[in-house]
Amino acid sequence: MEVLILFMMIVGLMLLGVPIAVSLGFSSIIFLLVLSDSSLASIAQTFFQAMAGHYTLLAIPFFVLASSFMSTGGVAKRIIRFSIALVGHFPGGLAIAGVFACMMFAALSGSSPATVVAIGSIVIAGMRETGYTKEFAAGVIANAGTLGILIPPSIVMVVYASATDVSVGRMFLAGVIPGLLAGLMLMVTIYIMARVKNLPRGDWRGWGEVFESGREAGWGLMLIVIILGGIYGGIFTPTEAAAVAAVYAFLIACFVYRDMGPLHVKGEGRNLSLMRKPMALITVFFHRDMRDTLFEAGKLTVTLMFIIANALILKHVLTDEQIPQQISSVMLDAGFGPIMFLIIVNVILLIGGQFMEPSGLLIIVAPLVFPIAMELGIDPIHLGIIMVVNMEIGMITPPVGLNLFVTSGVANMPMMSVVRAALPFTAVLFVFLIMVTYIPIISTWLPTLMMGPEIIVR
Amino acid sequence: MSSGYHPTTALGRIVHEFEETAIAVILGLMTIITFINVVLRYGFNTGLIWGLEAVTFLFAWLVLFGMSYAVKITAHLGVDAVINLFSAPTRRLIALFAVVICIIYAGLLMKGAWDYWAPFAGLDATSGRWFPTGFENSRDQAWYETVDMPMPDWLRFIEPIMNEGESYAKLPRFLPYVMLPIGMALLLFRFIQAGVRVFTGVSTGLIVSHEAEDDVAAVSHMNAGD
Repeated sequence: MEVLILFMMIVGLMLLGVPIAVSLGFSSIIFLLVLSDSSLASIAQTFFQAMAGHYTLLAIPFFVLASSFMSTGGVAKRIIRFSIALVGHFPGGLAIAGVFACMMFAALSGSSPATVVAIGSIVIAGMRETGYTKEFAAGVIANAGTLGILIPPSIVMVVYASATDVSVGRMFLAGVIPGLLAGLMLMVTIYIMARVKNLPRGDWRGWGEVFESGREAGWGLMLIVIILGGIYGGIFTPTEAAAVAAVYAFLIACFVYRDMGPLHVKGEGRNLSLMRKPMALITVFFHRDMRDTLFEAGKLTVTLMFIIANALILKHVLTDEQIPQQISSVMLDAGFGPIMFLIIVNVILLIGGQFMEPSGLLIIVAPLVFPIAMELGIDPIHLGIIMVVNMEIGMITPPVGLNLFVTSGVANMPMMSVVRAALPFTAVLFVFLIMVTYIPIISTWLPTLMMGPEIIVR
Repeated sequence: MSSGYHPTTALGRIVHEFEETAIAVILGLMTIITFINVVLRYGFNTGLIWGLEAVTFLFAWLVLFGMSYAVKITAHLGVDAVINLFSAPTRRLIALFAVVICIIYAGLLMKGAWDYWAPFAGLDATSGRWFPTGFENSRDQAWYETVDMPMPDWLRFIEPIMNEGESYAKLPRFLPYVMLPIGMALLLFRFIQAGVRVFTGVSTGLIVSHEAEDDVAAVSHMNAGD
């Protein structure tokens, strides 16, 4: 009963425009002060330990930083050029290339809105020039952009791993096949639509262009190789892998792509080479661009972690009051099996994903459903992927999906037309969600193959 | 709904610059220390023993210091789908209500932060459950030390003041923990400022709906028109 009041209070405050973090923290503090004997000092300690005591969450700032370095303009263009060279000559080629570019950008960045902004702004403009309707272009990008949180590295997966004590490495591996599958399903849909509607196709520019653009984009795409290779080779912990990735991304952005830093020339001129300006090795650390990139990443980390730290206060309430155990006994007594349970999880997350930033939502829901899922014998990695895919689709489900908003801003068109344009592809992703939910092997096969069977501690 | 915050006074510019640079420097230090530790381990089979603890404290500092800055520039994430349905005057009332909640929240955490930190600094925590009603005689815990962080010699001057002349073997805990009350005090201050801004009609709310709002505004011209 009290729990119901707690959750209604959180949701109510959130809908009234109180920041998500404060809604969580405020409600939990009131709850703790009224119903338990915790002191404000112990709540402050929980807040401090959210950062100082969670080694796994430490990966978040580094992943954010790596993707900030990688999002400095030029990388998105290089990835798009590579995609067009590779798949642009198919029917509906530019749209397929857009999906492909979103998949690759997702491997560099952990956020869906960021993917839509970076890839969408360029691809939608390009598609309109070659004769696609703006609606079609926006629909494709709104959906493909959601892959950002499914394809590793993904901040949402780090949050899930930290909330439930499963391995980050396993979660990343588990996201690979579903990510590729979702991308493939979208591409096949576009291909069929292109055949039916006779959509424009690009020219095949030969293998030279593929290799040339691939070499350019390759510097950036190496990032994902370093992260996954480092973790699975047993070289790094995920947190260290993230820090190494951030340093690598810095070197690439400043000295190879030279889109920022002392070697960058504004406007049309060619960027300087390091030979001509060796001082750059020193001055790069004091360059304005360097500070700005670090600051942007820091700001994003702060807003994410502020939510997570407050959600951990809520988690403190939930564990104190044994709420998940209560809910699970109610559910088991009512005779709910795994299938019914997964449907409930699907529905809760689809609704929640409409309103909320994914990592915040996940850290509230995960501690609630995780113990129940364990009781029902659901694989923790599988549950994680289900949750991620659910939030992905929540972001593009009408009426208020977050990615729909972002796309309507990027494409400069009214929300309702984006919703209509996105629907066919959202339907495809729904089929994908059902597949992921009821065929566990899609998510668990690769991590089990690479890392051996998982030991589940109850 | 992004604010595009621009400081107007000279002091405002200095503070703004300081806040942004501090956030950048803390994140930069975290990355470099972690990276150096990886290199030392594989290249030289050694490592900075205090590295991990220092990085986790810096992480806490980043968030505790940065959260008030995020209030200032209206960067905290929230849900605006419902409040956008209302007319402007109603929205202002709702925003004022939200601000009051935020101020109470920051006030409660401010008391909690002080109560938690004060004993580590040899000071007294406040009494009272919800509001500080006075000071209680807390046990002096200024001799608590961090696990691995070394005590720099130039800080030894604090020993007679804090630790009755006993020398610290490691960095005392009250130093890294001090950001907790500072951060909460700044948060309270910025929420009050935000409240004044909403009250005077300078801003309309406290939240943005996603982290890329500024970026969306920056690229939307690329697809303007039909």
